[in-house]
Amino acid sequence: MGNNNNEAFYIGWVGKAPATLAAFVKKYVLFLLPTGIAVAFLLAMAQKKFGTGNFEFGTLTQVTGVYFDKPVPCLTVTAGTDVWGKPAYVTVPLIGYGKFWAEGVLTEMEKTKGVTLNNKQVTMRGTLLYNDGKVFMQIDGNDNPVTNVAENKHPMPTAQPVDIGRILVKGEIVDPKCYFGVMKPGEGKPHEDCAIRCILGGMPPMLHVVDRNGRSNYYFIVGTGGDKINNSLKNYIAKPVEIKAKAVQFNDLVVLYTNASQSITAISKSAMLQPQGSMVACAAMRMPVTTTASGIK
Amino acid sequence: MGAHYTAVGWNRQKKIYDWLLFAFCVTYLAVFVATTAAINPDYTFETVLIRATSTLAFVLLHIILSIGPLARINHKFLPLLYNRRHLGVTMFFVAMVHGGFSILQFHALGNTNPFLSLFLSNTQYNSLPGFPFQALGFFALLILLLMAATSHDFWLHNLSPKIWKSLHMLVYLAYLLIIMHVMLGVIQYETNPVLVTVLGLGAITIISLHLIAGAREVKKDNTTYTNRQDGFVQVCQVAEIENDRAKMFCIGAERIAVFKTAGKLFAISNVCKHQNGPLGEGKVIDGCITCPWHGYQYLPHNGQSPPPFKEQVSTYDVIIKEGYVWVNPVAYPEGTERPGASVH
Repeated sequence: MGNNNNEAFYIGWVGKAPATLAAFVKKYVLFLLPTGIAVAFLLAMAQKKFGTGNFEFGTLTQVTGVYFDKPVPCLTVTAGTDVWGKPAYVTVPLIGYGKFWAEGVLTEMEKTKGVTLNNKQVTMRGTLLYNDGKVFMQIDGNDNPVTNVAENKHPMPTAQPVDIGRILVKGEIVDPKCYFGVMKPGEGKPHEDCAIRCILGGMPPMLHVVDRNGRSNYYFIVGTGGDKINNSLKNYIAKPVEIKAKAVQFNDLVVLYTNASQSITAISKSAMLQPQGSMVACAAMRMPVTTTASGIK
Repeated sequence: MGAHYTAVGWNRQKKIYDWLLFAFCVTYLAVFVATTAAINPDYTFETVLIRATSTLAFVLLHIILSIGPLARINHKFLPLLYNRRHLGVTMFFVAMVHGGFSILQFHALGNTNPFLSLFLSNTQYNSLPGFPFQALGFFALLILLLMAATSHDFWLHNLSPKIWKSLHMLVYLAYLLIIMHVMLGVIQYETNPVLVTVLGLGAITIISLHLIAGAREVKKDNTTYTNRQDGFVQVCQVAEIENDRAKMFCIGAERIAVFKTAGKLFAISNVCKHQNGPLGEGKVIDGCITCPWHGYQYLPHNGQSPPPFKEQVSTYDVIIKEGYVWVNPVAYPEGTERPGASVH
């Protein structure tokens, strides 16, 4: 093969290929290129649905609410009334720029303005991200995020947390900033490194729990004393885990108080679904949220 | 192969090749992005870019890896081989967009240097399912970078063909690393069987083509020659070799091409100095043995490239007895002139 004169001989540095070879290559290319494009179409179609999270990149929104530094730094915003006519609240956890939590910015703001923010009515300017009834705000020191601080004239029930008791929950530990809008996907193995980097950067870890009906719930994870245990969660991030914890409800937030070394176990993916009805219910968590320039309705 | 190096000239064939490649890449990316946007209104551009470039680079890598064995199986594929380095460099740039954007997306703006973060975020190196797959992709990209950076013939000459070839054979390690990068990464997340199926079909195609091409080479190499006399080995009849063409014989460790041209037989090494191309599958053009891969040329009687080029291959003694070709498989130093054997 290739050594008889009946076969056309190709030389690349010659301007034109022999007609028989050119015709053969043309046919092959006409097969290969559409096949490649079909692969593009197939692979694009095969992707999992992207999450519905939103990150209002480039848009700053002002939100007024009562600032609490525990269990995680957040603004608690009055959001109309619930189905029983009682005041309802939406908690807006605060997150920092990049892969950091908001504490650094907030401490800096307190120093600069010479005030303490805890339990004060604060107006903050930042970038909203939201999904599945949860809303977060990214604050960046460069945006001068604290625009107004006033005494809180309307004490909120955050001061009276509700002890749910000890629970066993299964889910995946995610970093909320990526999960709720910045990254798609913000979960699973492809996102694992980023989730680890965010949580090691101080982002409060969240457990994402899905029940057999596909409904999601979200729980912040802290140490048994309310301390940060981010570093000790490193090997569990973005993986299926089972957590034994004391659950406490703060308005529309549920926080798990746990011990990483004793109460968190890696489990298989198939074991991750919660038995139906065993989740910690929290009506406000699934409340639809709309944002305005002056607050949240 | 020149004594002086100048920019690669873009002749008509190269232009057609490169325009087709460019059009394919653009169309692929457009189809991937448009399809994703159509079925996923909530898509983010960064993710689509990362995925579109990764899959395009992977498709290009399959095309690149298939060209070699296809050209061994059927010489009509050789036009695709000639310009393969453009395909390789293009693939590297596409992969670099994927890798660069991924490092930016997953590791930048954190509390650790992004390149350190790549290795220090997930440290479960002792677990197969938990293995930090991004590190595998990083090393694959590093190999592709080395290959792209040394793809010019300047590096082939300065590194020596042997080292250059060894370096470029690392593409198979890169392919393995990429397969593992995908299997331990996105396949752990996505559930649609299309992804695994495409990955499997690609790997099966590449492995099969290499096995088929390899089996043909082994068959040629294992041919035994029983008639030996005074150091010469009887290899074939004179009539079996066409004019200006050759037959290749593997005798011991030597791969020898016997050419018939200008009424004589000449024996030279079958291995081209450029990229180890099979000179025995070449043709004598303008009095020069021309390699079928990239058109490198050698004079039949001394194995030297015509001046000013400096490549040289080994030569061998060849004689004709009663219509049969006999070759002495002891190589002369590269570029040694031999008289050849008169056919008449």
